[in-house]
Amino acid sequence: MEVVEGDGHSSAETPILEVRDLVMNYQTKSGMVSAVEDVSFSLPRGKSLGLVGESGCGKTSIALTLMRLLANNARILGGQVLLDGENLLELGAEEMRRRRWADLSMVFQGAMNSWNPVYTVGEQIRETMDIHWHPKPTSAEARAKTEELFRLVGINPEMIDRYPHEFSGGMKQRAVIAMALACDPKVIIADEPTTALDVIVQEQILVELKKIQNELGMSIIYISHDIAVIAEITDILGVMYAGKLVEVGPTTEVFARPRHPYTWLILSSTPSITGPRRALAPLEGEPPNLLDPPTGCRFHPRCPFATEKCSELEPPLEEISEGHAIACWNYEQVPVTLARGVL
Amino acid sequence: MLKFIAKRLVQMAFLFFLFLSLVFFLLQAQPGDISSQFLNPTIPAEVQQQILGRLGLDGSIWNQWWNYVSNFFAGNLGVSFSQYPQSVMSVIGERVPRTLFLFSFATLFAYVLGFGLGKRLAWKRGGLGEYGVTIGGVLLYTIFYPWFAILMILLFASTLGWFPISGFLTVEVWRGAPWTGNEVFNQLLLSIGIATLFVVAGLLVARRVSERSTARLARRGGYVAAALSLVGFWMMRGEMWTYARDILSHSFLPVVTLTLVAFAGTMLLTRSSMLETLREDYILTARAKGVPEKDIRDHHAARNALLPVVTSFILGLAFIIGGGVVTETVFGWPGMGALLLNATIVEDVPLATGALAFIGVLALVAHLLVDILYVVLDPRIRIQAGK
Amino acid sequence: MVIKDSDPPVLETLEEAVFEVQAGEQLPESLWKVRWKLAWGGFKKNWKLFAENKIGLFGLFVIIFFAGMAIAHPIFRSVGPWQNDSIYDPVIGYDASVVDFEVVATEADISDPTSQIDAINAQLWCFGVFPGDTCSVPQVPAPPSSDHWLGTDPLGRDIASQLTFSTRAAFFLGTIAAVVTVVVATTVGSMAAFYGGWLDNFLMRLADLVLLLPLIPILIVISGMFTVTMPLLGILIGILSGFGGTAIVLKSQALSVKVKPFIDAARVSGGSNMHLIFRHVIPNVLPLSFLYMMFTVTEAVSLEATLSFFGLINADMTWGIMLNTAQTQGYLRSGLEFWWMLIPAGVAVSLLAAGFFFVGRAMDEVINPRLRSQ
Repeated sequence: MEVVEGDGHSSAETPILEVRDLVMNYQTKSGMVSAVEDVSFSLPRGKSLGLVGESGCGKTSIALTLMRLLANNARILGGQVLLDGENLLELGAEEMRRRRWADLSMVFQGAMNSWNPVYTVGEQIRETMDIHWHPKPTSAEARAKTEELFRLVGINPEMIDRYPHEFSGGMKQRAVIAMALACDPKVIIADEPTTALDVIVQEQILVELKKIQNELGMSIIYISHDIAVIAEITDILGVMYAGKLVEVGPTTEVFARPRHPYTWLILSSTPSITGPRRALAPLEGEPPNLLDPPTGCRFHPRCPFATEKCSELEPPLEEISEGHAIACWNYEQVPVTLARGVL
Repeated sequence: MLKFIAKRLVQMAFLFFLFLSLVFFLLQAQPGDISSQFLNPTIPAEVQQQILGRLGLDGSIWNQWWNYVSNFFAGNLGVSFSQYPQSVMSVIGERVPRTLFLFSFATLFAYVLGFGLGKRLAWKRGGLGEYGVTIGGVLLYTIFYPWFAILMILLFASTLGWFPISGFLTVEVWRGAPWTGNEVFNQLLLSIGIATLFVVAGLLVARRVSERSTARLARRGGYVAAALSLVGFWMMRGEMWTYARDILSHSFLPVVTLTLVAFAGTMLLTRSSMLETLREDYILTARAKGVPEKDIRDHHAARNALLPVVTSFILGLAFIIGGGVVTETVFGWPGMGALLLNATIVEDVPLATGALAFIGVLALVAHLLVDILYVVLDPRIRIQAGK
Repeated sequence: MVIKDSDPPVLETLEEAVFEVQAGEQLPESLWKVRWKLAWGGFKKNWKLFAENKIGLFGLFVIIFFAGMAIAHPIFRSVGPWQNDSIYDPVIGYDASVVDFEVVATEADISDPTSQIDAINAQLWCFGVFPGDTCSVPQVPAPPSSDHWLGTDPLGRDIASQLTFSTRAAFFLGTIAAVVTVVVATTVGSMAAFYGGWLDNFLMRLADLVLLLPLIPILIVISGMFTVTMPLLGILIGILSGFGGTAIVLKSQALSVKVKPFIDAARVSGGSNMHLIFRHVIPNVLPLSFLYMMFTVTEAVSLEATLSFFGLINADMTWGIMLNTAQTQGYLRSGLEFWWMLIPAGVAVSLLAAGFFFVGRAMDEVINPRLRSQ
């Protein structure tokens, strides 16, 4: 079995996925919504990257743009998406269709509804193999692979011939992960993989995901609004605000010392069980309306360190240390420790 | 599954019992005595009583009711007043196949056309085609049916002369024919039945096979086999084909007219059902999986959109049966519907009751088949039904 | 002013009212005025939604047009051009202009069909005529003319007069059928939802049966055995449809009302079941009922026309009867030659039925937001 490869120029050093200056808008009745603005990041092979942000900050939009599953009113206005060196945005519809799942697969938010109720789970997983495996698998081969996947994610292989409504929520989520692996993709995008689940199951799924990543050496992009979840399983953390990537760097580093005011404020507003007792510093205000975003830095209206320059000029995403980039004019003002109490 | 069917059958039998009783009492409630219309008043009183006794019209109403119902279930529907001494059962028996023919084809075509058009319309939104077909569909849905039937006859039969104006067969063609109309018609039904078996076999095999292109092959194979069987059957019959063809040409216009009016409802509903289904998450997932567009439309979306359509089809059945009655009358197609109307007009009570009861049976059986179909199609229900 | 605890809570007014009573003052406006304002505001909003749907507007236009026709009939007959009863009465009028034809020997000899007739046909009208004689033939049915805008039927009656007269009958029938259906369906649905248990089960089984059975054959048999007049037909249609699909839909609507908190509140303050049904459940179910009235009218108009077409209805004049007359006299099979007897009546039935159907569909989109084509 051989999965169709993209004709990229790959080597062990180049990142498996590189996004450069991606711009995407939605055309609505009220005007253009700037959903993704100049976003750039790269995902090294075998690593996981997390995208964190409030609802509506553009993280799901990025995921859909990468897969090219956007709605009809979306406009990709610029940028490149290099999967193993190949720009996905330049591909024709049919070529992209062949890449989907085979090279780049996705685990959707709310896996409960990802399953078609009238076919068995096994049939729906097999469907991906029938489409993308060349040559097509025999029944035995497909079944063997599905069983292997189920064992990997911790589902009883007997359930292969059952219908989705016979699965519990957590099982459905695991099955979706199994399906995402069916064609051995290069990258998996997991959009809020645990949001719809209760806390205990959440933990189980996260453990599974970490296991899979380690065993298979998968490159994964995680998307979540829950920074705690992301912190647990990602190697690299990217923080998004109002369609822009404001900070990206190794997860441990970003957590230990957030450099962007937004990240700093978010972490300050999160209580810690082990850390020192302190009053929480809430984040004032609301995210901006993307129909008419603020001039200059999009965060400046809510930023305690904002200066006049921030309202006039948008800060570019610049590397300040190895693998750690910030988009802020005044990042040096951000204190080393987290905030105590109201500012 | 079998338990489910058995349970439904019992329910149907009970409903039918209710229906039959209601019909009986309804007819008893009519003003005037039935017997007075058919008995010559000069017959002496005792003899009248005798005749009444033989027809089962004496005795208390409960007696009559029980007699009627139990006789019905035993297959004895009484003797026709207007076609004396033919029994109601034999009159109806002659007519049933013709109505079944009309009903089955109209239902099948209306469904296939309605569903096929509806799912395509929902898939490609907008454009002149969608507007036009929707308007056309609604027009056909609301048009006054007998009038529409007359217009169809005027256009295709009178003006263009493509089809005969009415009736079951053309008398001139059949002069001196070695077979009766019914014999040829039954052969026609037989050939269609065999062809249907092939199609069903193909579909059943397709269900078992999980690999999609093999399944498609199985389905197509079924259709091809059916077509071949039809050709072979009639080639063997030789001369009978000319007569069969005559009957077919008479059936064309009634079937098409009824189909046109019946398909619009299904089409409109399929379209809305598809639009709802297309919003579901699993459609996005299918697209993410790289499933080709046509398969998303047919294999994923249409299959789910099908379910509410099948449910509402039950309403459609009643509509087609009622429409069938009108069709038979206007087109002169000698089926049960025409029988019902004629019997009512001449006030042949046993015949009218029998025809109405049979139409009820047809409705119930059709309903049962659709119920079973629904259970087969929706695995969520199937598992419940199996418990 | 006493606040009736069982009034459905309308937030603005209730707060106002409670506030006023607590403060011991009079209400600034009486309750009914406030209710009226709210209803009017709601109506305007719904009208805007309705008007977005072109088809609904078209349907409404059609209905208004027919209403106009219905009103036009008595006006034309009393002060308009149709005052002459003996000519324009839709049932017993008679008018046939007599045209003189010259009789010629055979059909082949006819050179001017407007003034010549062949001997064989002449014999049908004028006994004992020969070529060269004059035969006076009453033009029945007559094509449209300035006197008879849509011509006359085989019995010499003015078709336009019949058409407009029948419009009244159609509205009348539709209204009766619609009202009866709604009354039956609402009661059945509410009772089933409210009492549940075996009553619910029984009513739903009954509804299944009604849905199942084709209406036309049943009505045919009924009208064959009994004399069915228009009011009776309306009631029959109303009862037969009322127990069916509409009842099922209204029952689920009633169920959703039943679980609302204000029902519990009303019950706690001592409302009996019947009181709850009539005072709370039914008013909340009514908008949906109104919607189904539209579809019932569509069905009733078509059903009546079909039955009249077969000559089974006992009424003075309806569109179906117009077609029946033309059909039984044999004028419909000869192509479009006698189009004025074929087209107007058929179009009238189809259009009016379609009009109510379109309005119903548009209302459906207003009431069920999910159907809107966004």
